[in-house]
Amino acid sequence: MMAQLDLPPIIEVSNLRVAFETDGGPVVGVKDVSFSIRPGETLCVVGESGSGKSVTSLSLMRLVEFGGGRITHGRLAFTRSNGEVIDLAQTDARTMQAIRGNEIGMIFQEPMTSLNPVFTIGRQLEDGLQKHKRLSSEAARARALELLRQVRIPEPERRLRQYPHELSGGMRQRVVIAIAMACEPRLLIADEPTTALDVTIQAEILALIDRLKRENGMAVLFITHDMAVVAQMADRVVVMHRGEVVEAGPVADIFAAPTKDYTRALLAAVPKLGEMRGKLAPERMRVIGMEPVVAISAVAAEPPAQPLLSVRHLSTRFPVRGSLLRRTVAKVHAVEDVSFSLAKGQTLSLVGESGCGKSTCGRSILRLVEAEAGEIELDGWDIRTLSVVDLRRARRDMQMVFQDPYASLNPYRRLIDQVAEPLQNFGIASGSEITDRVAALFDRVELPRNFLRRYPHELSGGQRQRVAIARALAPSPKLIVADESVSALDVSVQAQVLNLLMELQADLGISFLFISHDMAVVERVSHQVAVMYLGRVVEIGPRAAVFEDPRHPYTRSLLSAVPIADPSQRRPREDQNFRPLSSPIFPVGHSPAPSLYDEVTPGHLVLAEF
Amino acid sequence: MRRFLTPKSLIGLGIVVIMVTIAVAAPFVIPASFATRMQLAMRLQPPSAAHWFGTDQLGRDLFYRVMLGARTSLTIAGAAVGISVTFGLPLGIISGYFGGWTDIVLMRLVDTLLSFPALLLALTISAMLGPSVPNTIISIGVAFTPFLARIIRGEALRVAQMPYVEAAQATGTSGFAMIIRHVLPNVLPLVIVQGTISLAFAILAEAGLSFLGLGTQPPQSSWGLMIQTSRDFLDVAPWTALVPGAAVALTVLALNMFGDVLRDVLDPRAQR
Amino acid sequence: MSYILRRLLSIALTLVLISMITFGVTNILPGDVAMMVLGTQSNPTALAGLRQTLGLNDPLALQYWRWVVGMLTGHFGNSLMFKVPIGPLLLQKMTASALIVVMSMALALACAIPLGVWSAVHRNRWQDSTAASAALLGISLPDFFWGIVMILIFARTLGWLPSSGFTDPSVNFIAALQHALLPACALGLGLMAHLTRITRSTMTGILNQEFIRVARAKGLDERTVIWRYALANAIGPVMTVAGLQVGYLFGSIIVIESLFNYTGMGWVTYQALLNRDIPLIETSVFVIATVVMLVNFLVDLLYLAVDPRLRQSR
Repeated sequence: MMAQLDLPPIIEVSNLRVAFETDGGPVVGVKDVSFSIRPGETLCVVGESGSGKSVTSLSLMRLVEFGGGRITHGRLAFTRSNGEVIDLAQTDARTMQAIRGNEIGMIFQEPMTSLNPVFTIGRQLEDGLQKHKRLSSEAARARALELLRQVRIPEPERRLRQYPHELSGGMRQRVVIAIAMACEPRLLIADEPTTALDVTIQAEILALIDRLKRENGMAVLFITHDMAVVAQMADRVVVMHRGEVVEAGPVADIFAAPTKDYTRALLAAVPKLGEMRGKLAPERMRVIGMEPVVAISAVAAEPPAQPLLSVRHLSTRFPVRGSLLRRTVAKVHAVEDVSFSLAKGQTLSLVGESGCGKSTCGRSILRLVEAEAGEIELDGWDIRTLSVVDLRRARRDMQMVFQDPYASLNPYRRLIDQVAEPLQNFGIASGSEITDRVAALFDRVELPRNFLRRYPHELSGGQRQRVAIARALAPSPKLIVADESVSALDVSVQAQVLNLLMELQADLGISFLFISHDMAVVERVSHQVAVMYLGRVVEIGPRAAVFEDPRHPYTRSLLSAVPIADPSQRRPREDQNFRPLSSPIFPVGHSPAPSLYDEVTPGHLVLAEF
Repeated sequence: MRRFLTPKSLIGLGIVVIMVTIAVAAPFVIPASFATRMQLAMRLQPPSAAHWFGTDQLGRDLFYRVMLGARTSLTIAGAAVGISVTFGLPLGIISGYFGGWTDIVLMRLVDTLLSFPALLLALTISAMLGPSVPNTIISIGVAFTPFLARIIRGEALRVAQMPYVEAAQATGTSGFAMIIRHVLPNVLPLVIVQGTISLAFAILAEAGLSFLGLGTQPPQSSWGLMIQTSRDFLDVAPWTALVPGAAVALTVLALNMFGDVLRDVLDPRAQR
Repeated sequence: MSYILRRLLSIALTLVLISMITFGVTNILPGDVAMMVLGTQSNPTALAGLRQTLGLNDPLALQYWRWVVGMLTGHFGNSLMFKVPIGPLLLQKMTASALIVVMSMALALACAIPLGVWSAVHRNRWQDSTAASAALLGISLPDFFWGIVMILIFARTLGWLPSSGFTDPSVNFIAALQHALLPACALGLGLMAHLTRITRSTMTGILNQEFIRVARAKGLDERTVIWRYALANAIGPVMTVAGLQVGYLFGSIIVIESLFNYTGMGWVTYQALLNRDIPLIETSVFVIATVVMLVNFLVDLLYLAVDPRLRQSR
């Protein structure tokens, strides 16, 4: 567990500088980066997008050259297994090939695209072994099997003959790890290995990397943007920003006493799961340099509120069609018998992992997809039975903010036209009044007025999300469905946008249906929380009840899997076994059991086992 | 914009502009007698100072004829692509945006039409209608429509699934307004790219049709027709084929160069 | 295998549509077959008699039905201009055309794939720009122009190959190849240029994929990464485009075969069109469209064999 500090470092990077050749001349990707890693030690390189952390890791493998980059300066001293120390920056291509995959292994971010789709898992595991270890094909196959067992993949014999698309994301990432571990490397580079994965699978993968490190005494270079993962994994930390090292040191020191403003701001913006314990109402995010550090309560303790939105027994199913006559051959039960209600001026969060139906639930409420059964009542409107004309009118009251700020704005329309669209559609304003109202909305979401006539590509991600919020605010809705609205943003921007949403709620009394996978954010912003799994709400109740007294096994496993951005609260690292997810696809006519709940305390409901 | 101003696109655009200028201006600048004057004594003369590109079998100056041919070839190509965009754009957008049975029926028809080689379809229609300039335009236009409809349909389908369309739907936009405000502007770049490339193909198709005698008919002159008439004199006067051939090649090359850069800049599928 | 069954059903439906479109194009458009056969100056009684024998006075639906039933029972009718049964005629012409189509496709693929890969590997360097410029030039020249240039060089100037004519391969194989080589090259050059561009762009996309980085991170040498890992993924898309280009080839053979006087399917279709031999036009257009459709079906099956993802989803 502890790094062997008496041993010499396996890799020692000094003054690394990487430049990229672009049409506009050379651009520096990273400059003057130095660090070293000893055997058995995990070094986390952390930074927001564009910080140069990935360029650093690719430089160690000399893979940066394939992306048009060039190491222009610096030394990458690597101790080979025979004790020889070589400078990777100067090594010839042939030696590099002998080192890659053999003495240095690497794991990448996207498990869905990391494996060659047309080769079997077995072949992709074996070819590295045959090259580096000169194993016969039988020996390579035996070793591949052993590796799959080592990364705890069920039915390893069958997997060897399967193709990547037949495996889930979590399993593919295990295969990628097995490939990286195949030749027992001395250094493992993990570049955002869990970013694309759900939180429970993230916990499995993190535990796996940690166990393999302990068993093999490897050095690990772990690249991530997630401070919580850093807190859980790192022995030492390097914080990067715009291609430079901001701060470096042992993990406890960095979290307890950051010395640089950038590190402090980064850490402040990260919500820590459990820090809301004992608090009654949601709290604003900490944003250093913009507002006072002290958190202010955005919404006073709740008055007895009447429901704005109530959803009863909502089910949404998608047809799976046969290809010839488009017969419905099966149905995906995306949302299954979901009921909840949302009070005026409050936030209800739907949390769950990908594919649990939380997004479909939000879309069904807005009738962007049609539900199959159930009732939706919004402020007197019976949404599901509305005619097309009435639905249009009802949409004034309910708006949506989407996840991807790059895709949810039309690239070919000026921002003013996009924000004005609901005003025109609902006949709220016309002529010069439109410009005034859109300008006022821009003020409201803290965007400069000179952005009005710009196009989306001229804005940053956070700014675009503010435009999307302005568009949703335009018809003065009573309900806003925020579907993963801050997930694509860097933490500091995320904190600012969350604060904006909370301010809007306090000032305008808007209700939010906040859809998210991020438990720490949900804990911070919600009044009520509903946990979804396989289309159903498995647990629902006041935020404090769900987070402080979780009753459903799924809620518990979810909460225990969330990494906490505090190195003093490390999760136990016992290896977690692979849990297959059951399929939500059922034959036509299948009618699942209704959702029945036990009421633990008033308002805290837990799905009964069935 | 800067990515657009490459030497490749500028050369391509430059040649296209020159060709279009020639096509528009040639009949006004060149006295008709120059191009149609037959001097039997000057038959099949190789290129010289008097006749830069040589003369044809009737002693007509090839330099003037190739300039006059530009008008016919470009008019036919432009009008044919106009026809296929006029039909292909609404077909593709309706099919891709609305989906469902409309899409299935339309695309089944389009896929079947794509089994007919475009040139064969154009030739057959032209032969049935009787070869003439308007009929050449119609036959090439019809033959190219399924291809454009297919591509536009794919793009409309992609756009229809974009979050900004769903976002507009949530703000109360629907039907015609959705198509005009959101679908059409986002499909248009691809239409411009494909239109440019189709223009190149249409010039080749016109040349092919005329070469086979089922396109432009004498006494009008087009590049394809000039190559056709040259076939009997290949041995003695290869320039009679090479001059109009080079004109076709240069124009098509320019359009393709321009189209390549347009695609790199505009086609959302080509961007990484 | 239900996928193949469903595809066969879909092929049957497409065949019906192809026959309808063919019949529609050749019959609904203005034009009097009898007048075409006998000429505009012929006497009215002869015209009426011919119309009667050809069944031109019957409703279109009945004429269509007769044509389809005839084809299903193997009676394709007689060509008006060649005065021979259409079935055997087209079979012989189709074999002749298949020879140059297959040759040109083989030539094009054999050159285009290595060239496209090479271009993608050296992206944005001189190797790439040279190959890309050549390919751009290749797709910009009309194929009959290539044909004329080749006739001038290889037949007229050098005298290596005959400039026109056709020999049946079963009679004299060497002579048949000699006659087929120039038309096949003229067809193949444009195709090769097009496929080079497709291979290049497909490979460029694949080389940017994460699994290529993973393959390099495994320490595999560049040859394996490019020619095995990347190319295995490019073959499917390139084959699909090549399959679609068979349609283009069957359009081009009309021009190329008449330029080289190579008496194949394209030549016979062209003669039929020029002489308004409606029964021959109908059937040869139908046959060409059917062959193009079937080739694309085979390519789809081939794609299924190289890409395991499709195998499962179907």
